[in-house]
Amino acid sequence: MVSLPTLKRTAEQGLRYLRRQKDIQEAEVFVASNAGLTARVNYTSHIPCNGVEEPKSTSSHGLGVRAVFQDPKGPRIGLGSEAGDLSLNGVKAALEKARRSAVHDPDFTTLPRPSPERRTLTKYHDPSAMTLTDTDLVQAGWRVLTRALDEFAKAGSLSALAQTGPKLRELGFIVGGDVTVLLERMAIGSTRLPKVQTDESTLIASFITAMVERESAKGTGSGCHTRLSALRGEAGAEAARNALSAVGGVRVKDGAYAVVLGPQPVTELMSNLILPSLTVASFYDCSSAFHGKLGRQVAHDDLTIYDHGALPGHMGSKGITCEGLPTGRTDLIADGKLVGLLSSFYETERMLRDPAAKEKLGVPPEDCPGALVPRNGFRFAGGGGRRFDIAPSVAPTNVFIEGSDKKTREDLLRQVQNGVYIGRIWYTYPINGLRTGDFTATVVGDSYMIKDGKLAAPIKANVLRINDNIHQVLQNIVGITSKSRGTIIWAADEVVYAPEIAVARLRLTEIAGFLDAH
Amino acid sequence: MLNIPKAITTDLVEAIKNTVAELATEAPATHKLCRYADLRIEVTEEKHAGAENGTSKYAGEDSQFACGIRVLAGDGAVAPGYFGQMLGKPDLPRLAQTLASGLKHAYERALANAREKIRTRHKYKELGEALADTRLAPVEAYRDTVKAEYALDPRQVSLADMVRYITEVSRAVQDVDEQLKYNAVSAVTLVTRELFASSEGAWIDQSFALTKGGAYVVAVSETGDQELSDDIGHQRGWEVVTEGIVEEHIRNLDLLTFSTNLARDAVKLAHAPPLRSSDKDVVVVTDPHFNALLAHEIIGHPTELDRALKMETAYAGRSWLLRTLSGTMVGKTVASALVTAYSDPSLPGFGHYKYDHEGTLGRKVVHIEKGTFKGFMNSRQTAAILNVPPNGSCVATEAHLVPLVRMSTTVFAAGARAPEDIIHEVDKGYYVVGHRIPSIAESRENFRISAQKVYEIRNGQIGQLYRGGGIMADTKTFLMKVDAAGRDFRLFPIPNCGKGQPMQGRRLGNGGPTLRSRALLTGPA
Repeated sequence: MVSLPTLKRTAEQGLRYLRRQKDIQEAEVFVASNAGLTARVNYTSHIPCNGVEEPKSTSSHGLGVRAVFQDPKGPRIGLGSEAGDLSLNGVKAALEKARRSAVHDPDFTTLPRPSPERRTLTKYHDPSAMTLTDTDLVQAGWRVLTRALDEFAKAGSLSALAQTGPKLRELGFIVGGDVTVLLERMAIGSTRLPKVQTDESTLIASFITAMVERESAKGTGSGCHTRLSALRGEAGAEAARNALSAVGGVRVKDGAYAVVLGPQPVTELMSNLILPSLTVASFYDCSSAFHGKLGRQVAHDDLTIYDHGALPGHMGSKGITCEGLPTGRTDLIADGKLVGLLSSFYETERMLRDPAAKEKLGVPPEDCPGALVPRNGFRFAGGGGRRFDIAPSVAPTNVFIEGSDKKTREDLLRQVQNGVYIGRIWYTYPINGLRTGDFTATVVGDSYMIKDGKLAAPIKANVLRINDNIHQVLQNIVGITSKSRGTIIWAADEVVYAPEIAVARLRLTEIAGFLDAH
Repeated sequence: MLNIPKAITTDLVEAIKNTVAELATEAPATHKLCRYADLRIEVTEEKHAGAENGTSKYAGEDSQFACGIRVLAGDGAVAPGYFGQMLGKPDLPRLAQTLASGLKHAYERALANAREKIRTRHKYKELGEALADTRLAPVEAYRDTVKAEYALDPRQVSLADMVRYITEVSRAVQDVDEQLKYNAVSAVTLVTRELFASSEGAWIDQSFALTKGGAYVVAVSETGDQELSDDIGHQRGWEVVTEGIVEEHIRNLDLLTFSTNLARDAVKLAHAPPLRSSDKDVVVVTDPHFNALLAHEIIGHPTELDRALKMETAYAGRSWLLRTLSGTMVGKTVASALVTAYSDPSLPGFGHYKYDHEGTLGRKVVHIEKGTFKGFMNSRQTAAILNVPPNGSCVATEAHLVPLVRMSTTVFAAGARAPEDIIHEVDKGYYVVGHRIPSIAESRENFRISAQKVYEIRNGQIGQLYRGGGIMADTKTFLMKVDAAGRDFRLFPIPNCGKGQPMQGRRLGNGGPTLRSRALLTGPA
């Protein structure tokens, strides 16, 4: 990792150079250093394996220049980047690429201008994560694996199964997943902003799936931290315990069921359907499921959702955006009403000037200035840090979901009485496009029947498909727990602090009956 | 002292070949407990442009330079360690030191991994027995150079011309109909040069050209709305976008015609009634474009051996075709006798290559032959577990990422029937045209895939068009019910297939002919 003072020095030096260029109207230099360290776990008791399959890292550093060039036909905006070179030569090379690639974009107004809001989050990262050694990385992977193996080894129920049938290892224990440490440093300077700013963040996460495969029993464990010292392998133990609880799973018939969705399914619905529909960009391109509904009721009035990137101790927090603006709280849905959208500076400016803005949003943009504040312009790409070679786009940070009552899981189960608890879903996609709200997913583990207000028989992995619509789900909410859990789904950048949510009716289809005959 | 260029261009690979090869071949000598090492270097020169609603939005030209290193090492146990890094110009004069440092990190990780493997093996006794030494199935150490194919060199294309062309296409799309509320058109053209060197003496210098164009449109009528997106592409130069491709298996319209056709479809669909879901399975005729995604999801993914061996349990899922090493579907009937399916890196398009990223020669892998399951795509490590020969199916999206078992071009084989006859024989059914969005069960045992267009078939004639339609079925049930396969075999680009952690999005190829089977119809909820 390149040090923060070096990144800052590069940004300052680069900005001084850019200010001196005669054909430049305005310019910005973004300097970043990122590293991702991953110990990928793969244990299979019935198949030869490595245990820790991939102890690995990938890293990059470099700078990007966005510049607005004067042109008789109107200003042209370009982005150029240079990997690995933080010298003035790197700035010059990036500027030349920006010059060559500049285009006239009629929707562009200016580079991000200062926000009236102030930065509140500084020095919130874990310095010890920045010095993780090769051995530390490997041991972190083995720690989660052995915590899972401890649970399998001591499970009396498995010993009983093994005594009457196959050997213990032939029950097919699987432990898969990873421990990932993401390290990010950045500096940004702009002719539009008063000074060069820096930011430094770490994200430490572990996601583990465990199975007793012969019993089609699957469980999940996770841990998301901002401190390396918090990573003790509990995700492995939790996954194994959940897999053990799922032994003896049953099938579920087609039908509409009252359900309780656990934190992972809530996060899947948020990251794949709801959050992509809550960006100014998706309203601009008419793809949002909430098109034209700003200011209107879009969910049960018990539901509140907001994004907050400036909370200390939360995994998705950042001090500033990749546009150099302060992070903060953006209310999205308040008591079921759509009140705000995630945005970057460019998207907000474009919407404010769009002649069709009233039709797209549902209200004139000037009537809702607080709904379009650009607190979410980031240069993320697929969970890989803050990229110096791409332009900012809209991304959530920490997303919070809250209900109005202080309910527990037990309260929700009592409310549902008889139905289905869904703890993990997979491949959740807006099957007919985001705008229609139709979605489908399969139920892959951590799920149970609900009988007489209590969790009852586990449900076999991979025997149910959900076919429903997100609008109906949001309207049919009947309860939300006060307790939530930080969850990240595969390849997402945001962290959803997801509660458990009870929904009056969800359509489930039984699938893959042919496998019972195999 | 290396005499290397000062710029990051594909020519750089020529200058660093010997350095990289020496580091790889000498790794076991310089690192005492190293059993195997390979180094991968990749340089890409790329140009791209995008436009929305008839106005230019962005453009760029850049180079990427990256390395990836794998080491197998250990004393008493053998385990893997990896290292990856994006590189830049300042790395050029000190490249040997940078790669040596990366090799050391990978080696240290492998050693620490091996030590923990031994400790865990001893601690857990029966459960520890599965922790085996990492073995790679043997392959020939090839030394070869493979050139990129193109008519219009991506490196020579004027970025200004690209911007102009893409903006014109976007403007033409906008002019199709006033009910088109939004469109985005983009294109990328690139040349990648990869170098693979291993401690076994392999040394492969392989180049590709690749060009892709894409369009996304949103149409809104008084009665409905429709989003559509689709791509064209090939491992060729800029001509893919401006002129299109007419080859035996690839019919790729130029981007202007392709995008405006997509826009017209979106407008038609926005006016079409929604498809009603069916309670029971119905006759469905699926076209080659739809079957490309179907082949991807229900043939390609479950036949990746790393997935079948549970290595993707937490991410991309497992495979219903392998439960245990002795409980596989190999040799069993999984489809009707009309179904043959295979992966073949020699086929043209996004999935084409000669060698994979382990230096293994890519081979055609038959997955299903006349209804009987035959086998999996593999890597050297997974092939060793199954004790089968490696078939060259292990690739990474970029050099700094770890190679995984991936599809090359996975297809349903051509049948003998005329596609129009397959439709004409249907009294009552549905013609499912063009793939859209998939959702597949974890072990690929069930699928729901939406289509761009669904038409009713009545008395052998194509009739009413519906929007929001698709099909859903259990994989084996669908494959067993295939009762016709067309001779109209086509290949299509799949621009973004996700696998691994961190997720690697890879471009690859899929295809097939017209098929007829039975499935549930799915419409809007």
